[in-house]
Amino acid sequence: MTNQLTGAISVMDSKHSPMPGELAPSTHHRGPVAPLAERHGSWSRGAAWAAWAVAVCLTFAGCGQPEVEFGLNRLIVPPVNLVVQSREAQLVDQNRPAGEIAEELATLKETYLHNEQMLASALTAVFGTPDDPYAWPGLGLDIKKLRMAAGPTGVRGVTRGLYREHCVHCHGINGDGLGPTARFLNPYPRNFQLGVFKFTSTNQGRKPTTEDLERTLREGIPGTAMPSFRLQSPAEIEALVEYVKYLSMRGEVQNQLMTAIEAVGGPIDENQLAEELQVALDLVARSWNEAEDYIVVPAQRPPFRSEQERLASIARGKEIFLNAGKANCIGCHGPTGLGDGGQVDYDVWTKLQREQEARYPGLAQLWPLPVRPAEPRNLHQGIYRGGRRPVDLYRRIYAGIKGTPMPAQGQTLKPDEIWSVVDYVMSLPYEHEQASPAPPSVHRAGL
Amino acid sequence: MAVLLVCVTFPLIWVGGLVTTFKAGMAFPDWPTSGGYNMLAYPLDRWWHGPFDMFIEHGHRLLGMLVGVVTIIAALVFQFREQRRWVRWLAWGALLAVCLQGGIGGLRVILDHRRIAMIHGCVGPAYFAFTVALAVITSKRWREAAGVPASAAATRLRRLAAATAVVAYIQLVLGAVVRHVPEGAAVGEFQAAVMFHLIGAAALVVHAVCLVYKLMRNRELSAGMRLAAWGLMGVITLQVMLGAATWVSKYGYPRGLESLAAMHDQAFVAGGTWQAGLATAHMACGSLILAMSVMLAVRAARLLRPVGSGVATAQAASGGLLRQGLAEAAS
Ligand code: HEC
Ligand code: HEC
Repeated sequence: MTNQLTGAISVMDSKHSPMPGELAPSTHHRGPVAPLAERHGSWSRGAAWAAWAVAVCLTFAGCGQPEVEFGLNRLIVPPVNLVVQSREAQLVDQNRPAGEIAEELATLKETYLHNEQMLASALTAVFGTPDDPYAWPGLGLDIKKLRMAAGPTGVRGVTRGLYREHCVHCHGINGDGLGPTARFLNPYPRNFQLGVFKFTSTNQGRKPTTEDLERTLREGIPGTAMPSFRLQSPAEIEALVEYVKYLSMRGEVQNQLMTAIEAVGGPIDENQLAEELQVALDLVARSWNEAEDYIVVPAQRPPFRSEQERLASIARGKEIFLNAGKANCIGCHGPTGLGDGGQVDYDVWTKLQREQEARYPGLAQLWPLPVRPAEPRNLHQGIYRGGRRPVDLYRRIYAGIKGTPMPAQGQTLKPDEIWSVVDYVMSLPYEHEQASPAPPSVHRAGL
Repeated sequence: MAVLLVCVTFPLIWVGGLVTTFKAGMAFPDWPTSGGYNMLAYPLDRWWHGPFDMFIEHGHRLLGMLVGVVTIIAALVFQFREQRRWVRWLAWGALLAVCLQGGIGGLRVILDHRRIAMIHGCVGPAYFAFTVALAVITSKRWREAAGVPASAAATRLRRLAAATAVVAYIQLVLGAVVRHVPEGAAVGEFQAAVMFHLIGAAALVVHAVCLVYKLMRNRELSAGMRLAAWGLMGVITLQVMLGAATWVSKYGYPRGLESLAAMHDQAFVAGGTWQAGLATAHMACGSLILAMSVMLAVRAARLLRPVGSGVATAQAASGGLLRQGLAEAAS
């Protein structure tokens, strides 16, 4: 396996070509304009010529459509000039002689560019390109689904380009959450590349299941810009979910390789890289494939026998909610659940951004999303982004909201305590109705 | 005749908008044929019962053809029935324009190029406005319009009306730019497009408010003109609301207004009734604003022309109108 990867990486320097174990690469490419026109007689041949002329003009006007590439995530693999600058600042601080600094920086630059190149070709070797995706068999991804989701839009006869049709303007071509609209959205679109997803049925630190992602696509995320795709066919949703996983895996492998490269220190050679790649692929594949084993299954509880019992549960939930020593929901969501607890923290995506921007000044200009703190939710709105069934809320509280400050309480609270908190949270949007001085039945009796 | 032309063109704008909304522009990879069939011979039941994107794209093509045919008839009718030579030329110009627009639409399909789609989307409403202008020019009221004694105020008002039309068109183009920002664009590109579209909206509102105010105060104008001015104002108000709603249905509530999200506890459906309906209505309403402002501009040019002049001045007025409007808009 490692040998194959080594070979693959060196081959990739020139062009993506099939590797052992790879399915035949997709042969379906859009033909150029001319052959298409020939099928429809001379009439449209004239039109095609005119079209060609216009195309040439547009290309010269700088409007041509360049080939789409994934590229590297600049937050994780910053551009070389920033890396050199930040090292230079360090060296100058250490009062090193100018000649020495220049020499070290030159080596650093060379090494970094070499490593960057190696990293890029390794990624292309195991993941292919946006138009021609490929997935290393060990990852367990379905290449047919990936092809449906990848590629350019608008090719008739085959379903292709679903991701670019529906998602790319928010989530970005490589899933880094930097689509053209990203900046305007709150919360920002998900950056898939860290492999972290907020709303899952699985335990803390685990991946989402396929069903979780499908649910997110079908229902959308209410209260955010993420729309529901329920008009898409189940097959299309499956393909899109597969592609989300694929982008996510690619991002994770990239992160791991970068960490490995940094650990090596010098220029990395093919064998080393292939070994690291294998480790990363195995790790990522395992984490995704075992997600199903970590689904949080809440303990069943009997239905309430009376209204009193329900109110008692809500009251108990409220007590736990307000207990700063135990669950400390109050610390973030505030005493009345308005989200005004006063804690300021960031989600993992923003934390990474802040860390890297501190390390490489100048990166802030490249990463166009201003830093925003993670806001604890106002629980009075009655909008539950991760689903509004009681079991969804149970899982939110049990396993936390991944990537955000919202912590997992599965270890601190007993199942029936969690259920009570769920009852309390779900009663919050209607709280003012309950707080009315006398229950409605009394009013009715008085009439 | 011209009115008929207007009436068939407006639905075409709507259907054209739907094509973009449902990303159906490339439902058929070929043109002028539809899926290998001659456009007119495309089987009826396949069209009616086929996939939705093919349904609207083919419908758009057929409707486009209808508009073309009506334009030909209009040009012929004017050729024989219209005395004013420049109006006859205008009618033939319309025919040329509609052929060009059809050609651009075809290119958009053959080349599958976003920029051409955008140009196609910008020329369409321009053509619509042109048909409206034609309808105004050939109306009975046009011939009966008396004109006013030359005055600086009247000139200013004519210019303002023209400038409003120009701003309306610029704003429409900016909207098309927002709509057709490539998926792979940088964050800044979309941001710039949105900014300019918002600035355009503000500029248009200011122009329209001034125009309505001035028209109201002008005693020489008919009640119809004033009504049209109020109509324009109403449509612009509607348009601003549609624009905001379109944004929310696609991109959610802006920062600071999230609490409004409590109004609906479900996410918007991508390509669903809200998203598609609002976006298309916003687009068609933009065309309507353009058409109304052009109508006002052309009528103002006619009604407020200095008297003592014949056709020559009217011609000069409409010719110089655009130049003046452009100058005004630029300043
Ligand atoms: C209008 C912008 C927009 C579009 C279009 C969009 N998304 Fe999203 N998406 C978002 C936003 C915003 C979030 C973050 C929501 C949050 O953090 O609560 C998100 C989150 C997600 C998540 C993460 C859910 C989780 O549990 O963390 C997934 C998966 C996802 N989107 C997939 C897709 C796919 C697949 C498509 C295309 C079919 C798509 N999105 C289209 C805006 C969009
Ligand atoms: C460290 C701060 C913190 C604590 C403690 C905390 N939360 Fe949260 N909570 C958050 C943040 C931040 C979010 C928003 C996450 C997001 O969607 O990005 C959130 C979101 C939620 C949501 C919305 C879930 C959804 O599906 O939309 C609920 C419900 C919730 N919290 C309940 C609780 C309860 C109950 C507790 C106590 C057991 C609690 N939280 C403790 C920070 C916290």
